[in-house]
Order: sequence, then structure tokens, then C-alpha cells
Amino acid sequence: MSLRLAYYPGCTLKTNARNYEASAIASSKALGIELVELPRWNCCGTVHALAKDDVMHYIAPVRNLIRVEQLKNSGLVDDGRLVTLCEMCYNTLKRADVTVKEDQERRRKLREVMEEEPPYSGGGVEVIHLLQLIREVGWERVKKRLVRPLRGLRVAPYYGCLLLRPRGIGIDDANNPTIFERLIESLGAEVVEIPFKAKCCGSYQTVHMGHVASELSYRILRQAVEGGADVITLACPLCEYNLGERQGEIRGLFPDLKYIPVLYFTQLMALAFGLEDSVGLEMNNPDPRPLLRRKGFP
Amino acid sequence: MNGDEMVTVYIMGKRHRVPANLTIMKAMEYAGYQLRRGAGCRGGFCGACSTIYRMRGSFRLQVALACQKMVEDGMIITQLPFIPSEKKRYNLEKLRPDPGVFLEYFPEIARCLSCNTCTKACPQDLMVMDYVQAALRGDIKTAAELSFDCLSCGLCAVRCPAEIVPYHIGQLARRLYSRYIVGPSHQVQNRVMEIEKGIYDEEIRRLKSLDINMLREIYSRRG
Amino acid sequence: MQKSISLVEETRRERAGRSFPFMSMEERRRILEEWHPDYKPGTKRPLLIGPSRGMIVPHEVADILEAHPLIGPNEIDVTDPEYDVDVLVIGAGGAGLSAALTAQESGIETEGILMVQKLRLGDSNSKMSQGGIQAAVGPDDSPALHFLDIIGGGLFANKPELVEILAKEGPEVIRWHESLGVIYDKNPDGTMKLISGGGTCRNRMLTCKDYTGLEITRVLLDEFLNREIPYLEFTCAVELLTDEQGQVTGAVLWDMDSDEYRVVRAKSTILATGGFGRLHIQGFETTNHYGATGDGIVLAYHVGAVLRDLDATQYHPTGAAYPEQLVGQLCTEALRGRGAQPVNRLGEMFVHPLETRDAESAAIIRECYGRDLGVTTPTGMRGVWLDTPLIDLLHGPGTIEREFHAMYRMFGRFNIDIRKEPILVFPTLHYMNGGVEINPRAETSIPGLFAAGEVCGGVHGKNRLMGNSQLDLYVFGRRAGRYAAERARKVQAGRPTLNHIERYERWLEEAGIKTSRKAPILLPEYRGKRTLEHIIKLL
Repeated sequence: MSLRLAYYPGCTLKTNARNYEASAIASSKALGIELVELPRWNCCGTVHALAKDDVMHYIAPVRNLIRVEQLKNSGLVDDGRLVTLCEMCYNTLKRADVTVKEDQERRRKLREVMEEEPPYSGGGVEVIHLLQLIREVGWERVKKRLVRPLRGLRVAPYYGCLLLRPRGIGIDDANNPTIFERLIESLGAEVVEIPFKAKCCGSYQTVHMGHVASELSYRILRQAVEGGADVITLACPLCEYNLGERQGEIRGLFPDLKYIPVLYFTQLMALAFGLEDSVGLEMNNPDPRPLLRRKGFP
Repeated sequence: MNGDEMVTVYIMGKRHRVPANLTIMKAMEYAGYQLRRGAGCRGGFCGACSTIYRMRGSFRLQVALACQKMVEDGMIITQLPFIPSEKKRYNLEKLRPDPGVFLEYFPEIARCLSCNTCTKACPQDLMVMDYVQAALRGDIKTAAELSFDCLSCGLCAVRCPAEIVPYHIGQLARRLYSRYIVGPSHQVQNRVMEIEKGIYDEEIRRLKSLDINMLREIYSRRG
Repeated sequence: MQKSISLVEETRRERAGRSFPFMSMEERRRILEEWHPDYKPGTKRPLLIGPSRGMIVPHEVADILEAHPLIGPNEIDVTDPEYDVDVLVIGAGGAGLSAALTAQESGIETEGILMVQKLRLGDSNSKMSQGGIQAAVGPDDSPALHFLDIIGGGLFANKPELVEILAKEGPEVIRWHESLGVIYDKNPDGTMKLISGGGTCRNRMLTCKDYTGLEITRVLLDEFLNREIPYLEFTCAVELLTDEQGQVTGAVLWDMDSDEYRVVRAKSTILATGGFGRLHIQGFETTNHYGATGDGIVLAYHVGAVLRDLDATQYHPTGAAYPEQLVGQLCTEALRGRGAQPVNRLGEMFVHPLETRDAESAAIIRECYGRDLGVTTPTGMRGVWLDTPLIDLLHGPGTIEREFHAMYRMFGRFNIDIRKEPILVFPTLHYMNGGVEINPRAETSIPGLFAAGEVCGGVHGKNRLMGNSQLDLYVFGRRAGRYAAERARKVQAGRPTLNHIERYERWLEEAGIKTSRKAPILLPEYRGKRTLEHIIKLL
């Protein structure tokens, strides 16, 4: 019997990061985890950071947490954990839960505004990131599941900001995270350390101030290339966009940069687990397939 | 309900005593209004009679279709003669059912705060916020299904703090769903072809040529 | 009422799956003569004026035809039109929208079309149709069988050439709808879901849940708006314009917001104004839209167009009779198509659920007023039960919620759960079977004037079948658009006059009609205590 857990996709996972979702679901299944998509999920709430009214920041994420409690009560999932993939979603949902739990005033206001929903007091749902879940399941189980270990592949992990910050929310030690490295090793690949692995990629600056994002991303990419990495791996669709999709644009500013493929960690897992149908490499840009073929991966 | 019972309502501020067993629409007529805007099918199918009201003693702004909602004592009522909105123009033949299609035509859906006010404003009890969210993530099927019973009354649009016009989004979703996801029926297309080939002409010509008694006979024996 | 409901519940299991025999042609003729409102003496009179003089019509229809035009011949200057277009479409329901789209597709420039609509764009009887639309697409079906059903249902009074077109162009209309993105109900294997309707020998009804008219109309409206065809809402036609030859050359409009007249000159004018339910023939409640005041037949008659079959009025067998707030509103025929049976106060069947509408209505009236086996409500309405819980019993729980959401919602608002309780029904005024006579090109007898939809006569004879009016809207709406465009490309616009009004006043005078009535009436009069009235003049 596999473990069934509520799973929160987030909007990008249904559009630009479908390969992230497909590979995550397939890999989790391979590890005995069934990700049950949260019914009636809405935006995680990250866009509301722009609103001035503070309560609005919490309505969207808290409504999702209420849906998790409803799903839990229906017996369709095994416990009150909510698995997320996108770093932004993870961070927003997790912070909302903590805030609701700790801040009585905000909790009261939210109840007033969301009177049509059952009340949520915080703490009833545990928001986790898939990486945490895999760590909990155990690296040994990952190793046992390997069909095609990623031997010879040099992988630079990139954490970005939101998996590790703020303290209490982060899934690992913000100064010295190791969770990605352990996963890469477990998949049989080689870790390439880059100093800026937890520095910002430029995030939403990419919308209005592309050059700022380009500069930040460029430094990260260059470190990976110079460190001899074949690919970068990461856990956030926005980071993927800045580091991957925008490489062409970045090269416009920094012609010396060499292209380097960027993959979601779940794609590496799916590759190593032999789940070719779910890897979705055709959506990645730059295209990692020539490199992977050279390295002997189909 | 006793037909003689009267209640007090305030139509655009004016106080009227009206029978308690009337809908808002009929109460307005009873009070002397000949409706021009604000009345349509009178049966809950067209959405022309969007109405907002408050009850005395309550801060809540409530919504209704005037033809479907009974008056209550202390109701403060106004109808909405028109809902300002811009219908985006598109050529369905040139659209594709891509996830980004809604954001292209309705970029404002990214402003959805998930506040659920639209859902609370829907007199058809549709999960409006859920279908806007479905559109936001490009889920055409869900947006089409959840919005199917929409009457375009516009109440969601006037209540939305993000200034989204949900019913236009639902309409696009439904047309895309039918045109590109379900696709046309081959059964229908084949029958159209048969008819164009004239396969049925002879039989109909024969029926048309019969005198009425013969036709009657054939009609009553048809099975 | 509660006691009678228990009787219905007691007999339900025994009735489920059993049927009541159909009437023979002779029985149908007899019950119509005895019990159908159309046959009741004293409710009609022959028209005294105009090209259809002598035609027997209900008093309410004669009253608006034998009435003064709203405007006098010299009241407004029509020589300097505000709008000058190729095609004017009056009425934005299913027929008008189809006509406007088709006129544009037929080569009329967008700015050469003008749509006017009395109330809100798209609001119409078309939109309210719940039950479905007929089209012979089933494997066991054919346009010939559809032809037979239409003409037999119409008591063989239809114009056969119009019936042929309706039957043969049905599948094409469905194809057109699907290309525009109408969501029709389908079976899991992708074939069309087809249900039965009264007077049809095959399952031929296509549906969009029980919002069929809403779904089709809003798609057409969306397309209409996409194409940027000019329109005026809350603007109605109060009179047509004619040139020296008596050809129609536009219309006088009235802006309902500003109370001003506007003059439109047009090479072709299409009447798509719908029916007359809001005339409340014989005091009947109606399923019809607020704007269904028979304006089109008045406008057409003023310019001398021939009318037909207005002696026959359609009463839908199952209007709501309870609760009070819903009295007269449609309970779709599809409920019976899916197994709901009409039963009397004792829980007994007394008629096959799917007789043609005229016969089904007559049988219900007889049960209430002839046999005294109806149920009387606290406000004095009589009715019989429509046993809706049978639907879930026959097709499995959840069927009603899935297929009849509009009905479920409508009664649910008044705390009646149609999945569990039967609903009380009585015939309600539903459809104008006759109207302005057209030919296959949707032309009326007056050049320049086209007509489509319920305003027309000839398609359905004396009695229309369920789902054929929806079809009629699109088949003849498109034809009207096509042939109106063809004419507009050929002719020069005439000089607009109101000469026909002078002639009409002369007809009235010559016939000795002295009246203060004016028509078209545009809106029904419900102000004050009238809103409390329902007096069905049955006894």
C-alpha cells in the first residue's frame, strides 16, 4: 500500500513546468508515494504580495490549507501533510500556516472574511516540499529504486532562496544545505558545488528589470559551467525560467557564457528510475537531450 | 403563505408596502414600476434582472435575480440596469486550446486574489472563483464545466475586487472546449453529407406529393 | 396536497416502466375539440381588416391588429434617416442573431448591418428553451421521418416546402453550432445524446443539459459581438417604413432609454421579434419572455403582410402550478422524455406522457376541469402531478441533478426537491404556432420584408413539436440572413414613407372599428394590482 498524500501543484506546474509535475508524480510513485492532487486548489497566494491589505496575502493560501483539511477528513489521503513542488508555493503556503497559527488577530480577521469556509487555526496541515519527503523516505530507498544510475553526470544543485529562507520555514540549513547533494549522490551522479547555490536568481525582477535578473543568473550559470557541471538541477519553475529559458537573452549581455541545461530534480529522478515517459525533456530549454545522449542516457 | 400578508421594502430608497408572496420583480411592478431594463425572461434563465440589496439591520450586501427572489421585510433594493464590461474580440477559428489562451485575452485573471467574492455573488450558486482559477492555470475543461450554468447576469463582475469579468472567461472556455477539446460530431457531419448528396430527397418528394388522407395514414402508422 | 402526494408515492413503483396507451387520431381529435383552449367558443373572432381578413384569431390578437398604429402618418419625419443600412435585423434572439451572422457571411459589410433589440441583447424566448433541439442525426432516423412528425404534429396544416427545409437542414444547423463551440450533450462513445419528445417517432432531441437555448444563444451572441456587428439594445421597432411601391424599406425605432424615435432606412428588413405569450391569451400564464408581446405580427400587418395559423395557440402541457411564484413557468418536456409521468390526484396515470403538446394539454385540462381529479392549490390554481422522482428511479440516482439542473435549481429555490417530490403542473401559454407567412427564402408577402423564428407562420402548422422551434430559429434565421443579403446587393434603397399607416387607418375606419387601442404594445402592463392577477378563463 503506497502512502497517499495531498499534493499542491501550483499554477506553473500545469503550464510551463508540466515536466516538473509529471516527473515528480512518477518518481514519487516509484518510491511508493501517491500524490493526490488537492481538489479545488487555488493560487498559492504569492501574487498577493503586491496587495497592500495584509489580510489578502493570506486568503488564498489559507483557503488551500482548508481544502487539505477537507480532503484529509474525506479519508482520501492518509494524513494532514501537503506536498508542494514549486518553491514559491511551498514558501507561501508554509508561511501562511505559521502566521495563522501564531497570530491570533490575523486568524480572527481571516475567519471574518472567509466566513463561507470552515475555520482554520493553523498547524492542522503540514506543508512540506517533495525534497523533504524524499529525505524522510530515505536515500537508501532512492538508491534501491535506481534503474539507470546517473554515473558520469556532473550535476550542480541550485537551491534558490525560498527553499531555505526564512529560518523555520527552510527545509535545510540555510548556510550549508545538503539535501540536494544527498539526492544527487543517491542517484549516482556527481555533485558540482557552486558558491552561489543559494543566491537569488533574480526572481520576479525578470518581469520588469530583465537585466538585473540576467546579471544575477549569469553569475550562477558561469559558476556551474566553470565548475565543470554538465547540468544544473533545481526545484523552482521561476528559477528554471531565469536560469534556463532566459539563457539566450543572458548571452546577449554576456556572450562568453556557454549554454548549460537546467533540469528539475524530479527529472533526474525519473531518468534514473527509468521512467522515460515522464521525464519531459522536450520542454527544457536549452535542450539537454544531446548532452545526455553523449553521456549515454537515452 | 397567506396572500394578505404585507411587508415593507425600500425600492431605490422609496418605502413601499407590498404583498409578502411576491418576487422582487413583481413587487417592483406592484409598487408601480414598468420595468424596461432589469426584466427579461422572468424565469431565471436570462440574467437580465441582476439586483443588489441589503436587509435593514445587516451590513451584508446581497445579490439576487429579481425574478427568482422573494421580497422580505426590510429589504433595501436596487436593480443594476447594465454591467459595464468589454467583451474581448477573438476569432475562434484562429485560437488554439493552449493553457496560456486565457492570460492572453484576460491578463487580469492573474490578479485573482482567490477571495471567493464572485462565488458568493453568484445567484446560480456556481463556483465562480474555481472556474477563474481553472482558467488561470489553463484548465479549459474545468472552466467550461464549472461555468456551464452561467446566465451572464454580471453580479460576479461587479463584486470582483480584482476587476475581473468572470462570465466572459467562462464563455471563452466553453467555446474552446466544444470546438477543440470535444471536437465536432462525425455522426452529424455524416448525416449532413448524406443530405447534401440527396439521399433523402426522393422519399420526402413522395411524402409531399401525397394527398392529405394518404399522408395521415402514413403518419399514424409510422413507427 | 400532502395527502395526494402520498397517493402518488404509493403508486410510483407500480407505474415505473409501465406506459399509458397513445390516443388514436380520432381520440386526439375529440379531446382537442372538447378540452383544448383553442376550441373553446367565444374566445376568438374573425379579423375585420387587412390581407388576412376573415382569419379567426384569439380576441387578444385581434385587439392588437385592430388597433391604431403607435405613430401617426405625419408625426415624425422619416425622409432623413439616422441610419442607412443594407440589412436591418429586428430582434436579437436565436433567429435574429443567426440572420445577422449569415448576412455578414453572405457578403454584407459589417457596417451595413444593424441589429436592434427591444430589451437586452440576446434575451429572448430562444434563450429560455430548456428541452432541446430536434435534428434527424440518429442512425435509426431520417429527415423524412422528421418531416412526417412535423407535419402530423402540425395537423397537416403546415406548408410542406417549409417542413422539408426544416427537416433537411437540421443536421447542418447542429454542425454549424458545433463549429461555433456549442456544447451538446454526448454519450461516452462520442455520439450525440438523443432523447424523445412528444409526437416524435424517434429519439431526436439534442440537448445542452436543460439549458439548451441558453447555451446556443450565448454562443451566437458571443460570435455576434466578436464580429463587431453594430447593434442598438433597448431599442424597439414601432413601425416599418415603405416606399411608393409598398416595399419595406426600413423601420422607425424607439429608444427605450431616451424615449426618442430613430429612423433606419434598409434595403432588407428581417423581423425576428418572436411570439406573443405576454398577451396572456384567455388569461393563461405564460412561459414567455417579458418582451413577447406580438410586435412583429402587428408591424407586418401594418404593411400588408399575410398572416396565417394564428387561430392555433400552443399551450405547453406542463407549466408550474405551484408554488405561486413559479406559476406558468416552463417545466421542460424533457422531464417527460426521461420518464416523468403526469398523474392525477389519486396517483393514477391518465395520458401517455408524450402525446403532442395540444393533446397532452387537453388531457390535463380535462383531468382538472372535466373529471375533477386535479389538485387545487391554496391560491386556487388547479393542476396534476408530474412525477419527477421516476426519472432517478428509472435512470439511477443523480440523473435529475445532472440533466435537469435548471429545473432542480428553480424548484429548489422554493424548497421543493424534484428528485423526491412530484411537481404540480398545468398547461401554460407557450408558443405562437402561426404568424407572418413566409416562403422557403424567408420572404414575407411584402418585398423587402423577411421573417424568421416564432414570428413566422407556416412551418409548424397548427401545433409545433418540442425542439422544432429551436431548430426553426437557426434554419430560417440563416435563410433570412442569406436572402436578405442577396436582395440588398441587388436593389436600390427606396424612399422611406409612412404611407401604409394612412392606409391602415383607412382600413380601420372602413371596417367601422372605433377604438383607442394602439399597437404594438411593446411591454405588458403589470403595474399595481394587475401583478396579482391570474384568471384563467376556462369555465
